Amino acid sequence: MIQSVVQLRGVTKTYRIGREITVNALRGVDLDVRAAEFVAIMGPSGSGKSTLMNILGCLDVADGGTYILAGENVGKLSDGQLAGIRNKHVGFVFQTYNLLSRLNAIENVELPLIYGGDRKQRRERALAALEQVGLGDRIHHRPSELSGGQQQRVAIARALLNDPSMILADEPTGNLDSRSSAEILSIFQRLNDMGKTVVMVTHEPDVAAHCKRIVRMRDGLIARDELVPRPRRAEDELAVGIGAAE
Amino acid sequence: MKLYDSFRSALQSLVVNKLRSALTMLGVIIGVAAVIAMVSVGNGASQSVQNTILNLGSNLVTVQPQFGNDNGLKGAGAQAQNLTLDDMRSIQDQLGASIAAAEAEQQAGRWQVTAAGQNWNTQVSGVTEDYPIVRDWGVDSGEFFATSDLNVNAQVAVLGATTATNLFGDIDPVGQTIQLRQAFGGGGQGGGQQRARILNFRVVGVLGIKGSTFGFSRDDQILVPLTTAQHVLTGQLNRVSQIVVKATSSDTMELTTSDVNNILLQRHNIGDPANADFTVTNQNDTLAALSSVTGTFTLLLGAIGGISLLVGGIGIMNIMLVSVNERTREIGIRKAVGARRGDILNQFLIEAIALTGLGGVIGILLGWAITVVVHQIPQAASLPLLITSGTVIIAVGVSVAIGVVFGLYPAMRAARLHPIQALRYE
Ligand SMILES: Nc1ncnc2c1ncn2[C@@H]1O[C@H](COP(=O)(O)OP(=O)(O)OP(=O)(O)O)[C@@H](O)[C@H]1O
Ligand SMILES: [Mg+2]
Repeated sequence: MIQSVVQLRGVTKTYRIGREITVNALRGVDLDVRAAEFVAIMGPSGSGKSTLMNILGCLDVADGGTYILAGENVGKLSDGQLAGIRNKHVGFVFQTYNLLSRLNAIENVELPLIYGGDRKQRRERALAALEQVGLGDRIHHRPSELSGGQQQRVAIARALLNDPSMILADEPTGNLDSRSSAEILSIFQRLNDMGKTVVMVTHEPDVAAHCKRIVRMRDGLIARDELVPRPRRAEDELAVGIGAAE
Repeated sequence: MKLYDSFRSALQSLVVNKLRSALTMLGVIIGVAAVIAMVSVGNGASQSVQNTILNLGSNLVTVQPQFGNDNGLKGAGAQAQNLTLDDMRSIQDQLGASIAAAEAEQQAGRWQVTAAGQNWNTQVSGVTEDYPIVRDWGVDSGEFFATSDLNVNAQVAVLGATTATNLFGDIDPVGQTIQLRQAFGGGGQGGGQQRARILNFRVVGVLGIKGSTFGFSRDDQILVPLTTAQHVLTGQLNRVSQIVVKATSSDTMELTTSDVNNILLQRHNIGDPANADFTVTNQNDTLAALSSVTGTFTLLLGAIGGISLLVGGIGIMNIMLVSVNERTREIGIRKAVGARRGDILNQFLIEAIALTGLGGVIGILLGWAITVVVHQIPQAASLPLLITSGTVIIAVGVSVAIGVVFGLYPAMRAARLHPIQALRYE
């Protein structure tokens, strides 16, 4: 059996609002993600997709169950160790880009290297990552001087910098038009072709159709888990000039 | 995270909010400037008071007559006695080599002086032969009058440097004659006939330059033998204004003080020291009293500066809390890419320290400028400039410490933020 990058067993997460109300965002999730998979997570609003992603990305910790990431039991790690995992083993891409507005593109991309990883050749590595997402000519632009699609590509370059084992993207195309979405998807597909594991939350079936596997959630549980027989290629859609979602 | 990166990002965020950073720093700037200016002016003032006192001569024990004390001596039958030249001679005889020297003085008031066609009006005092030793103040040219001059009430004079210049200009005054005439409305209680007289004095010496004490020039005066002053100028034959004894060193001043006290009590036949008709003060006591006054003064000024520093620190804390709040998302992003609590803590702490440290440096410059400006005021010009490296080090240290103390709580709040909650923050 191929080594799983992610292994979730009975993971639960409960939010408390005030004293009385509790929300069971995750109610016992079992999930395996193997290396070089490209997984789409779908499901209605409030079904727990973001909660699951945050736990996968070690931005949050589960209340119950176990999470083993690349062989390591994440539940037993300290706050500082979790920060180290976020720094080196996961690259997170958010719907709202989450770039620092004061910094220009390349400074944003360099950020993970400030907090760890190999500090040598910081500039060169950031530049290489930006070139990988097609923004080699925009390195001195501030986020406010970039389009939404370009900002998201800067965010992807940042996620790639420490060469993480897994890219996690929570609705990365949610704020983008179809052409920009296709560009983002083509980058993910290219990365995946090179062996990178990608997990992506999306609401749009057309976006999910680019992935190799679709996991559907409902009420904090995994409802369906299926393989996509023939994933669509974003490059082809870009080549013929039509949007990915049309 | 490297310190260099922390500094860079701290400075960046200070530069982004230039106006806010400047206003925040203002509290620390004013506080440090106040401390520097006040402490240095305070130190300068106490230094100058000390110099002034030591300028009168060192290791001095001074005896002055005291009339009308608690027992009503003045009105009662037991008449208070004057201090006399004999009192001084007796101190000299009895204490001998255990004191450095002693002298007695009598103020003879202001006189109109004429010489070489020039007119001048100045203070005349009668003193005894050891005046130069007691006051650490010798003649620059000629010589001081001697005991023999006192014995014969010689009409000789030693001029202060300013007086000499004013009367004689470039001419050497030694050997010249000056004429004393009672100045209008001033002077001793001599008879009308003495006032009308013109008294000739031969100049025997000119004192070295001494400067001024408490704003009065000590170089504008004429010294004559005490006995001459008593017999010729004032007519007060059996009285001196003060006796000044110079102890051999600062350590023997206490002993000399009590010796002098005992001798005079005995001579004046006073059993109970409380009834003494004179007071003996020594310079150590005066210096100690003054330095405790000026010390309190300096402390008070420093405290005012300290309070403004405290207020400045609270300002820093306030702004840092606002800054942490405003940058919650930034903190979330930094945590999401791997910043540890310590990294965030450092970032905000360094930002606070950069604010206060920079404020401290600007404050020192401002405080120094204030001190320099204060020195442009004529009355303060004689105060020594006293910004010591100690003051500067303490000021910088204190402002950095303020950055740490008042930046710590906001920085800890930032460091403790949960990444997801921080990212969700609107
Ligand atoms: N910080 C929180 N405090 C309280 N409840 C929360 C919190 N975060 C999420 N929830 C609740 O947990 C449940 C799952 O939320 P989650 O964000 O994971 O949904 P989602 O599947 O990502 O939805 P969407 O598609 O709208 O993004 C929701 O009912 C939500 O209200
Ligand atoms: Mg969501």
